[in-house]
Amino acid sequence: MTFKNTLAIAVLLFLCHPPKADAQSRQLTVWAMGAEGKLIRQAAEIFERRNPGVKIVTQAIPWTGAHEKLVTAVVGDMAPDISQMGTTWMPEFRAMNALEPLNGFISSSALDTGDFFPGARESNVHREQWYGLPWYVDTRVMFYRTDLAAQAGYNKFPEDWEEFYKFSRALKRSKNGGYAFALPTNDWQIFLMFYWQNGGELLKATPVPYQGLWPSDGQSAPLTAGKFEETIAYLKRFFDEKLAPLEGGHDTDLLTAFESGYFPVFISGPWMISELEISKPQLNGRWATAPLPAGKKRASFMGGCNLVMFKSSPRKALAWQFMEFMAGPEMQAKWYAASGDLPSSRKAWSVPSLSGNPRLASFRKELDTAKAPPQVPEWENIAGNINDAVEEAVFGKVTAQAAREKLSARIEKILVKSERQQSAAFKIALSLLLFMVPVCAVVLYLRGRRASVGGKCQPIAILFLLPAVLILAVFLFIPIVASFIASMTNWNMYGVNDWTKIVFVGLENYVGLFGDPVFLAGLRNTLVFAFIGVPVSVALSLAMALALNAQILRAKAFFRVAYFIPVITTMVAVAIIWRWLYNPEFGLFNLALERLGLPAQSWLSNRWLALPSLILMAVWKGFGYNTIIFVAALQSIPDSLYESIALDGANSRQEFWYITLPMLRNTAFFVIVMTTIGYLQFFAEPYIMTGGGPLNSTMSVVLYMYQQGFKFYNLGYASAMAYILFGLIFAFTTLQFRVQKKLERTF
Amino acid sequence: MATVKRCSTAYKAVFYAFMVVSVIITLFPFVWMLSTSFKSPGEIFTRQPTILPQVWTLAGYKNLFAAVNMWLHLCNSVIYAVSLTALSVLFNAMAAYAFAKLRFPGREKLFALLLVTMMVPGQVTMLPVFLILKSMGLLNSYAGLVLPGSAAVFAIFMIRQFMMDIPEEILEAARIDGFSEFAIFWRIMLPLCRPIIATLTVFSFIGAWNDFLWPLIIMLREDKYTLPVALASINGQYNTDWGLLMAGAVVVVAPAVLVFLLAQKHYIKGIAAGAVKG
Repeated sequence: MTFKNTLAIAVLLFLCHPPKADAQSRQLTVWAMGAEGKLIRQAAEIFERRNPGVKIVTQAIPWTGAHEKLVTAVVGDMAPDISQMGTTWMPEFRAMNALEPLNGFISSSALDTGDFFPGARESNVHREQWYGLPWYVDTRVMFYRTDLAAQAGYNKFPEDWEEFYKFSRALKRSKNGGYAFALPTNDWQIFLMFYWQNGGELLKATPVPYQGLWPSDGQSAPLTAGKFEETIAYLKRFFDEKLAPLEGGHDTDLLTAFESGYFPVFISGPWMISELEISKPQLNGRWATAPLPAGKKRASFMGGCNLVMFKSSPRKALAWQFMEFMAGPEMQAKWYAASGDLPSSRKAWSVPSLSGNPRLASFRKELDTAKAPPQVPEWENIAGNINDAVEEAVFGKVTAQAAREKLSARIEKILVKSERQQSAAFKIALSLLLFMVPVCAVVLYLRGRRASVGGKCQPIAILFLLPAVLILAVFLFIPIVASFIASMTNWNMYGVNDWTKIVFVGLENYVGLFGDPVFLAGLRNTLVFAFIGVPVSVALSLAMALALNAQILRAKAFFRVAYFIPVITTMVAVAIIWRWLYNPEFGLFNLALERLGLPAQSWLSNRWLALPSLILMAVWKGFGYNTIIFVAALQSIPDSLYESIALDGANSRQEFWYITLPMLRNTAFFVIVMTTIGYLQFFAEPYIMTGGGPLNSTMSVVLYMYQQGFKFYNLGYASAMAYILFGLIFAFTTLQFRVQKKLERTF
Repeated sequence: MATVKRCSTAYKAVFYAFMVVSVIITLFPFVWMLSTSFKSPGEIFTRQPTILPQVWTLAGYKNLFAAVNMWLHLCNSVIYAVSLTALSVLFNAMAAYAFAKLRFPGREKLFALLLVTMMVPGQVTMLPVFLILKSMGLLNSYAGLVLPGSAAVFAIFMIRQFMMDIPEEILEAARIDGFSEFAIFWRIMLPLCRPIIATLTVFSFIGAWNDFLWPLIIMLREDKYTLPVALASINGQYNTDWGLLMAGAVVVVAPAVLVFLLAQKHYIKGIAAGAVKG
């Protein structure tokens, strides 16, 4: 890797815009997510039949990676003509300047945009400009057990807040154990519904740009004073009176808890109807849906998906034709028949299969008043902060008023845009300078005082190193330097697809991180995780490797495979089983405690137990990895060593201390270093099991980095986090190397 | 261990009891996954996970094979995992040999530098790597898919540590016999490193085999999806067909287990040890 090459690639990185794919006039590419991605083929075929010569290529994108896929497709110039898009993602992609404005098409079209539900319109229109068409909608309603309600004396679901509270109390009294209502402590969607019902407003007036928003007239604010506190007070009653669990919402399988009556009432969307019918057929006839109890007014949450056209599409007229076809009432009704997705068009609801379905009646009722969250690109970040604020308030860590004030301040800070402008020349110069600093440092480091080479130098080494080092230089070293530069910029979603929006902010991200309580919590948890996890995991691996190597063991291959199985078992299956082990209602751990006469625990939702529970799971999942490395290393210890020490009359403990352990030195060192690095980058377990909760007690640095980087697209901020973690890992590893050197000298 | 020791029956019993219990703990989720793939939907979420389905059904597998073109995605996965593993073993073992057994200026420093790069969390370099591939025109290509992962500091580190334990005398003897460095690497070092090469093969293969996000964002067309990506795209946003999902998980895990079974045969005692004596 020469200087020139490095430079050339660096320049390419900033300047290159590959040419567009040429337009094939009658072919459209349409992306849709998950099940819709498969079913949309049927709609495409109808369209192709009606428009001979048109070919539609449909492609299914997995939901789990859909957001990343769409962002990288935009950045990589690989976007389709049309895509399905989640309603809360719309402003982000608009901010990236990726979506085609549609007013021109709509004005010359027969499509009646007034036919869409108002909440569905909201997510598509920004300052009177349409950027997408509503495809299907969903909204939230109550699911409840009719038999248990009747047992509590209710033949009808309560219709307002006060009634619902009384109903919950009656329900709890009328049954043994469990709760009345599955109310999560940190779900912004559910909180917002109650808040809206209470007359609260969120980001009511959002002039653009956000600078100068909410003048200090004491009236305008991101949140309505008083309404927020009342909503918290109402919800907190459910927790305080044990009508809903403050701990234990996360780790219970909702369907099973619904069946057992542990949670006889919960809030969910239309997909839950088929889920219940298929998974719990034995419950049929014993449950129903009902509209959410009204507060001062009705308000549910408007979810669903839109169809958007990308700016990069070379066939916009044809693309519009297809979108118009998909959003019209005729196709909407057909789509319901094919997929079960609820139509966004009111006219489509007149077909008998929809209007005649009693379980859908409550959804239809909510759809008229359902609201979409505010249309700001930073929404995901704001939503995360709502979760934290609500959780702190219902746990009683702060008063409702303090929570609202803190949340308001956070939201204002998130929305304030930097007005800083920097010239392109300045930015390029600074980037190059920042790029050259580490590159020069590395070159100086490598060339400086030549390390004394014992014996002769072997130039052939270059050939051995070349492939790996070249690849690492291009795909590891340069990206690392690039992300280091990014950590000193405000790189966010506005800059993902537009380099000119990025400005240098110096050390602002780093300074900000040390004042960010979530990051500090993540740092603390990560350290705890590594300090406990690494010794336990390494010791266990070594013990298991020795057992696998023991002479009396038969069927070694079987046991080796068995220990390695957790490493390869799909995380989804692992998560289900561990959730069951930790289940507060019927989990194995609580059954064991019960036998011992000890009280049951909420393993994953207790602030103090959640992290140790995840450590246990991580050790289980990961120890096989190191075991295999130790097993491989044990094979290379010469038998002659054992024979000679045996002749000296050594016992097996002495064998271990004088032969096995010293011979495993290099491997053990590798394992300890790698395990420490791995545990300090703790991510998968909290990501899947707890999402960082409760109250950030399982938040890790990498999980927070992932959220900031890939959910909120604060790439600069996320990069800064990575370099703080890097500093930490570097310190640990240096320490480990020092210790190893010292040990080597003593032996 | 080498010397035959007389072990009391009681000791053996305790030892085997321990092994069996630990195996139950490690295997349980896997066995549950296997059995769930044969269960009907109503049986999957119960208060107590059951080991055997009450009613055996192949519905999960039938739905799976109906929903995706299994052979196509299996082929894509095999191409990705095998090519990545082959390159990774070759490149990383070569580099490790240089770091462990060849002398050149700056060796320790370069190695330390590589170790340092390993400490940067991989998530932040993903987007820059994507942009570099874009500038090289390698998006939506097998080269773009495979190359970035084909050299790994972790793997170099692992093999180097293993090679360092191989006695220098073996190499010296070979050099005196007129072997070139490549011949020594290919004909002496690699065979001696069989256990660790097997381990790296397993790690690389499983890493690539289970990889999800990278193949998803690099490959444009659905017919280039690898198995995990294709399986993930069957699920709805909220609805999950668990029987199908578990059938998919079994299909994904099975080849990984197979690779491990084949690889672990190479954990043969005493290749290196024998070489020392000889």
